[in-house]
Amino acid sequence: MGLEINQLTRHEGSGSSRIASENGRLSFRQKLRFAGFVLILFVAVPILLGRSPYYITVLTNAAILSFISLGVWITFSIGRMNLAQGAFALVGGYVVAILATRYGVSFWLCLPLSGLISAALGALIGWPVLRLKGVYFAMTTLSLTEAIRLLALNGGDVTKGATGIVNIPRPGAIGLFGLTIVPEFNGADPLPFYFLACALLVLGLVAVWRLSTSRLGWVFRSLRQNEDLATSIGINVAKYRVIAFGACCFMGGIGGAFFAAFHQNIYPATYTISDSVNFMLYCFLGGLSYIFGPVVGAFLLVIAFELLNAVQDYQALIYGILMIVCMLWLPNGILSLGTRHDGKQKYGGR
Amino acid sequence: MAILDIQGITKRFGGLTAVNNVSFSVEKGAILSVIGPNGAGKSTLFKLISSFLTPTSGRVNYNGHTITGLAPHEVARRGVVRTFQETTIFKEMTALQNVIVAHQLRCRATSLGIYFSSAAARADEERFHNSATEILDYLGLSTVKHMLARNLPHGHLRALGIAVAMAAEPKVLLLDEPFSGMNIEETDAAVKLVQGLRERGVTIVLVEHDMSAVMRISDKIVVLNFGTKIAEGTPTEVKCDEAVIGAYLGEADEEVGH
Amino acid sequence: MEQMLINGVVLAVNYALIALGITLIFSIMNILNFAHGQMFMIGGFVVYYLYGIFKVNYFVSLAAVVIVLGVIGWSFETFLFRRMRRMATREENSMLLAVGTALLLENLALSIFGEKQRGVPPVVTGVFRIGTAYLPAGRLLVMVLALALIVGLLLFVQYTKLGRAMRALAQDREVTHLMGVNVNRVAAYGFALGAALAGLAGGLLVTVFGVNSGVGNVYSIKAFIMIMIGGAGVVPGAILGAIALGFVEAIGYELLPGSITYLLIFTGLIIFLILRPQGLLGKPWG
Repeated sequence: MGLEINQLTRHEGSGSSRIASENGRLSFRQKLRFAGFVLILFVAVPILLGRSPYYITVLTNAAILSFISLGVWITFSIGRMNLAQGAFALVGGYVVAILATRYGVSFWLCLPLSGLISAALGALIGWPVLRLKGVYFAMTTLSLTEAIRLLALNGGDVTKGATGIVNIPRPGAIGLFGLTIVPEFNGADPLPFYFLACALLVLGLVAVWRLSTSRLGWVFRSLRQNEDLATSIGINVAKYRVIAFGACCFMGGIGGAFFAAFHQNIYPATYTISDSVNFMLYCFLGGLSYIFGPVVGAFLLVIAFELLNAVQDYQALIYGILMIVCMLWLPNGILSLGTRHDGKQKYGGR
Repeated sequence: MAILDIQGITKRFGGLTAVNNVSFSVEKGAILSVIGPNGAGKSTLFKLISSFLTPTSGRVNYNGHTITGLAPHEVARRGVVRTFQETTIFKEMTALQNVIVAHQLRCRATSLGIYFSSAAARADEERFHNSATEILDYLGLSTVKHMLARNLPHGHLRALGIAVAMAAEPKVLLLDEPFSGMNIEETDAAVKLVQGLRERGVTIVLVEHDMSAVMRISDKIVVLNFGTKIAEGTPTEVKCDEAVIGAYLGEADEEVGH
Repeated sequence: MEQMLINGVVLAVNYALIALGITLIFSIMNILNFAHGQMFMIGGFVVYYLYGIFKVNYFVSLAAVVIVLGVIGWSFETFLFRRMRRMATREENSMLLAVGTALLLENLALSIFGEKQRGVPPVVTGVFRIGTAYLPAGRLLVMVLALALIVGLLLFVQYTKLGRAMRALAQDREVTHLMGVNVNRVAAYGFALGAALAGLAGGLLVTVFGVNSGVGNVYSIKAFIMIMIGGAGVVPGAILGAIALGFVEAIGYELLPGSITYLLIFTGLIIFLILRPQGLLGKPWG
């Protein structure tokens, strides 16, 4: 009887509930793990790898790609497969590009602006489009990625078409009362960008965790599990869908803004369908039930891709095979290793 | 005083008229049942009342105000809550979580407050938890409140569906086939439950096939056939109504294969 | 004016092959074949190598396309999707797997075929004049062949045992299974057929446009657009979608500069879907 109850009931906050997405309280172990993660990011990596710009760059990429994918995770949590994140990253990138190169606006102002503009655009488009579900939503958002790319390509003087916008200035210093809080980002040192990326990632994780554990998170869950039922108890489904999508686009925009300043350029082709697909894949690979899913997925795949550099010619091919293997053998994602294998989740709720 | 007033509701789907000019009213605190042979349009009627479907013509008034044309979640907010025919529940949540989520309407904290866990938000959570526990207790689900909804046995799922609807503090509860698939004891318990709900001040409109339960429980019965109202009255009146007998006998005829 | 119409017809007929292929797979197995464009591309490459490089007869090359893509499609269903159906806990997993297969084929093609744009010599030479329009004999051939294949497919689905089994499967999986049909086998053949259709379209259009290993996503998107317009999972919808896309493309490329055509197509499509999400003929989605 005891074993049966274990199968059927849910233990509140017991054991290694990596599904931190539900409990408002984190167990001590979870807090420890998160602290460890932050320490590794901010202390261990700079100390160990600070001398090699290549590795720092790889991790910077992984961090921001996780951040962007975290946005896609939010749309998963309301039951939609969002393949439009590339579009909103592109929008964010162009906001920075245009404002910084043409109007001299500081990067630090552009960054949140990118997020807000992307979110606003996302809310506008999302309001009608979110009525679609399943493959229809996926196909439409995929088309959106292409549409925004074409918009950038044909944006005339505003976006400069295929030539894109280059020479985007790096972030400047932030000072307060004459004291420099954030130094100017110079080209030789990749660490400032790395720290910014990690800061964004950590902030993003905390923000999304808070979203998921709050009442809003439960509303999202109700949307994913049964929109009709949610409506019948008075939840304004359309409004909350847009909120979730807007939050997703916000993170996409900020990620795109970061990369624009990081690479100092943006082109229509900077984000393609492949990128939108990749953001989704990172979420899946890590595990859709876990907030850390996109982080694990992105870091693993980015690092794996770099490691495969040795087999240059077959890099992409092995990458593709790895994907299929993971999908078949780990359908619930990597972080699901350690929960029951019968498909039933030990702990409730996604 | 009529809390719910259905006025000439009609719904056409292309060439098919699912509901044809149906009118009736529901007194506050009453239990009204809508019955009729299969395909009579009962479920469509429910969807029309709760605004999940827009009528082709006609109106629904609630407490004197027209609710036709409002968004379905708005109608729920006003106090008209429907349940679903199939066991519709949030499968990946526990029973307790199901009912807590359903308290969404009673949120006093703002969205921002919720996010940053303001005092109001935390007070809300406490209230919801207590209220949910009370509702679950009332419906006899306290033993399974930490069980995942998809693992609940059928009978409990029904009760959970009602618990979720109750959490939304309905003034009018539209129960869609609450007794279907139940044996005699279960139906008895369910009948008592529904009567108990009425004691809590909820007006109840239900759609049902189970005649004996309907006769026992209803203050008034409305009979539909092919989308049209063919009779309305107390259980005794309806039982003897010729049109009603004809409609059901007609259905029986079809079944026997005449 | 006539040139646009002629171009439209040629495109529409070939696109119909693509649309029918993806519709077949979607209706039978409820899977959106993300790899459809990559299958199209592989068909083009098979013809490039056999007909273009090794000078094999064009029609034999096309037959080879059917075999190669048929095997690929059959394998995907038998080894990948069937397994996924058994163990999937979320329905998104099948779509994810489809995306994975697209990645796989894309990267496989990149590794094997390289990046360069390839072309093949025309199968027939000469140009016809119709009014003010020119119709190269090669395009006419491609159009006629595509038409023949479409007719063949429709007859197959309507009158053969396997074809009818596929239609039954598309309607109701449970019932078809209960009727004694080997559902797994039919599904595998269905996928093979859908893949073959995509490949054939590629093998035909390579004589007109050439091929490179990057066109996969482009044609997948075209396939999606067509079924979004016409309605997913229904054959007349696929054909309608193909006609719509073929003509809009032909007219657009004639009248508008560069990539604006597709920008308008996408914008129009998104608006159209907001108003009519199930496409012109599709069943309302659930």
